[in-house]
Amino acid sequence: MATLHIDPTQLSFERPRTRRYIIASYWLVVLFAIPLWWKTTSIDRLSLPTSRVYAQRKREVSFPITVNLETKDGGNAAAIAREVQSCLRMDQAVQQGSAIDITVTSGDKSNASYNVVLNRGNHEPSAEGRRLYFDMYPEDDQLSHDTSVARLASTLSELLAPYGTYSGSAIQSQRVMKYAPRYRLAFTLLNEDAASGNGALAWDVQKAIQRHVSPLLNKLSVLHNFTIESQVQFHAPLAFEPRYIQQDGGDVHGLTHEDLTVFVNSAEWTLSSSASNDPVIHFVLFIPSSKHSPLHILEEDGVSVNPSNAFLLPQWGGIVLHNPSHPPSSTLNPLPRLALSDLDLIFNTFAYQLLTLLGVPGLPPRVQSVSAAEGAPPEPFTDWELDALLRRRAVENVWGSTETLESIVRLVDQIEGMPVGPDVKGDVQDALSALDDVHETSRSSPIAALKASARALTLSSRAFFNPGMLALLYFPTEHKYAVYTPLFASVAAPLVGAVLREIAAWRRARKAAQAQQQQQQERRPGERAKVD
Amino acid sequence: MLALRLILLLCLTFLAGAREEPIGSLGRQGSSHTNNWAVLVCASRYWFNYRHMANALGMYRTVKRLGIPDSNIILMLADDAACNPRNKFPGCVYANPGRNLDLYGDNIEVDYRGNEVTVENFLRVLTGRVEPSVPRSKRLLTDDRSNVFIFMTGHGGNEFLKFQDNEEISAFDIADAVAQMWEKKRYNELFFMIDTCQANTMYSKFYSPNVLATGSSVIHENSYSYENDYDIGVAVIDSYTHYVLEFMEGINKTSQTTMEDLFNTYDPVKIRSHPGVRSDLFERDLRDTLVTDFFGGVAQVEVLPPLNGSPRPRVSFDEIMSETAEFGVHQEKESGLVASVGDINWHVFLAALGEGPQSEVGRPFVRKARTWASTLAVLVMGCWVATRRK
Repeated sequence: MATLHIDPTQLSFERPRTRRYIIASYWLVVLFAIPLWWKTTSIDRLSLPTSRVYAQRKREVSFPITVNLETKDGGNAAAIAREVQSCLRMDQAVQQGSAIDITVTSGDKSNASYNVVLNRGNHEPSAEGRRLYFDMYPEDDQLSHDTSVARLASTLSELLAPYGTYSGSAIQSQRVMKYAPRYRLAFTLLNEDAASGNGALAWDVQKAIQRHVSPLLNKLSVLHNFTIESQVQFHAPLAFEPRYIQQDGGDVHGLTHEDLTVFVNSAEWTLSSSASNDPVIHFVLFIPSSKHSPLHILEEDGVSVNPSNAFLLPQWGGIVLHNPSHPPSSTLNPLPRLALSDLDLIFNTFAYQLLTLLGVPGLPPRVQSVSAAEGAPPEPFTDWELDALLRRRAVENVWGSTETLESIVRLVDQIEGMPVGPDVKGDVQDALSALDDVHETSRSSPIAALKASARALTLSSRAFFNPGMLALLYFPTEHKYAVYTPLFASVAAPLVGAVLREIAAWRRARKAAQAQQQQQQERRPGERAKVD
Repeated sequence: MLALRLILLLCLTFLAGAREEPIGSLGRQGSSHTNNWAVLVCASRYWFNYRHMANALGMYRTVKRLGIPDSNIILMLADDAACNPRNKFPGCVYANPGRNLDLYGDNIEVDYRGNEVTVENFLRVLTGRVEPSVPRSKRLLTDDRSNVFIFMTGHGGNEFLKFQDNEEISAFDIADAVAQMWEKKRYNELFFMIDTCQANTMYSKFYSPNVLATGSSVIHENSYSYENDYDIGVAVIDSYTHYVLEFMEGINKTSQTTMEDLFNTYDPVKIRSHPGVRSDLFERDLRDTLVTDFFGGVAQVEVLPPLNGSPRPRVSFDEIMSETAEFGVHQEKESGLVASVGDINWHVFLAALGEGPQSEVGRPFVRKARTWASTLAVLVMGCWVATRRK
């Protein structure tokens, strides 16, 4: 029985050395786990090219433009060019606003992007392609010469920087759609109530689009891609009752301006499919029911009829009211159909609305558009306008992408739990190099500059909207302690306690050993003394 | 053929001449947005939270009635009330004890349903950081001309809102998400409304400009339900939402009622909690801010000049040339309505961080002290174990 009462310190696993190994092995596991824990809980935050991003703000895009003057009657084009140039220089601000730098030359037709053909006469100026026909006053005195030069300078500045002159109007910036590489055009024929006998059940939309809209789209294809969809709806009730008034002895139903703001009954009309994420421009042809016919827009006073039957919702689309002059549901035509001839004026309006919504500036009021050759199909708008739009969109895109890049950098700086993955970094770098491309190509080709700027915008947006950039949720420190303390404190207490106890035991053992040694040393001199 | 072309040419020359400033912009002055969006979140699920679903559906019905199209409404709803086996009126959700109005109706588009209603999805919707495969109806496709209305309801507490008994979103997360929206110009103005217990703590952390916020109850105060329906067997709507919706019923699309009018109707006695309003980040006067700026549809319309009439002379803008001199294309200030987009108001940010008047969590010193105290406590415990003898 005595063998059972072994001194516990004599057990193999209770020897100090073994015990210490055991404790150390626990701590080793903890220590080795720390890097793993660190790796799995830290978020990947790659560094972004911050200084390059902030440097973008200081760079300004500039499109150099050369305008060549030539005279038909052998006048002194070079002198006029100098005068026009000095006139334009007084207007620097406008040019800077539109990011252009105009140089006027003479006799250098091949290098110039635009040509002005000077003539003598009293005709209004006319534009064709990238050419402007301009008549100097025929009188020879200095005054009319100076007036002509000033007129030419202001016409050029209006043609080349059309936005600089009226971008201050909030209307313009509010109306134009945000730039997108692709738009969806949704044409809708809306019958308020086709059963009321006033409706049109079909329309020659394809031909009408081909005739009136396609030329525009072809010309705008350097800026945007377009997808077109169309539909016919037979029952699209209004959400309000139009006002009833008497006009010229007839009954007229009118829409007040307040009615126009709530005209679109979005709860009951489905105007576009949600097939893609591209912005949609809506075009609605509304045919009132016989109960509400004819339907017109009222003037501000609310009693007289506005001659227009079309209105525009900024950044949304356009609406045309159509009161069929004769009910299309005549006995001759079993399927009431709007023919191409009915649609001509309507789609002209749609085309005009489209141009307005896309920001095509329009020619200055004095300038006429002429067609290159007799009988050739007329241009929907001139190259002067297209180029101005290209430059404006490019500048807008550069600004947009610069701001987006800056905001990415700012946000990553500000929100600590936001991961930055390699794809974000790559997109930011690609956007920056696309911006470099814009600055490079703006000297030679506005189209290439626009393409690069669109790429920069798309890439910077993609970087911002990267799904991986979702920041970690915020938890107050109390929450973290509330979660971790019950878990770790109970584990940590014995671990730390064991170490502390072991250290204490070790120190005690060392002290005891030292004391023993001292005792032995004290005893030894005694022994020696005995020997001596 | 030649004649046709000539007519076309004539048409187009008129067109070119007529492409001018339209006669004038109509519509209300003061708001410069061109589209409205709404994000409506019911963060609860299960039958006994019927009232939260009714809250969200009531708001859905109101914004839809006032003109926000379904494509611009993101509705996040557990959606387990209408077809719940315990629902005595299958397919219907009512918000009043008389069961007069079926909110579920025939035309409901729930964008995030059931288990999809998560904190992550909500933040993804706001910040736009969604997977490329997410369809259009589940995205908030706003721009710097959008007025956004966010409504949240559920069970909450001091600076958090619970999502489906599973996770929670804190006031900091929402404030950060809104800051990211502002950075990417994803809103023009934002109106945040929340109905939950201690709701006002949820908007206390916002620091981005042009945010207007309101909530149902102050800190340490519950929000209560309005009334029970004894046939349905649960409370059908919350008190705060009930009174807001009641106010909204008197508004139509062209109403000139302002936000101030809405806030003035708050009656703590009737609502049985103290609703709050936060407008220090909002730049416009509440008296000029229409309710329909956030609950309604589009605000502006331009009548076009008739194309076949005589072309009008283009309005001369030469007078304002000097004003638009400095970089006209981008740095347009909208008559002082919108602060320059992308700037975060640092004073407000710091104030929001530092102040925390209602919460102790907000104070950095207190937080630090607690951290050290907890660490110390753990150490003391360790020592205590170490010194104990058997």
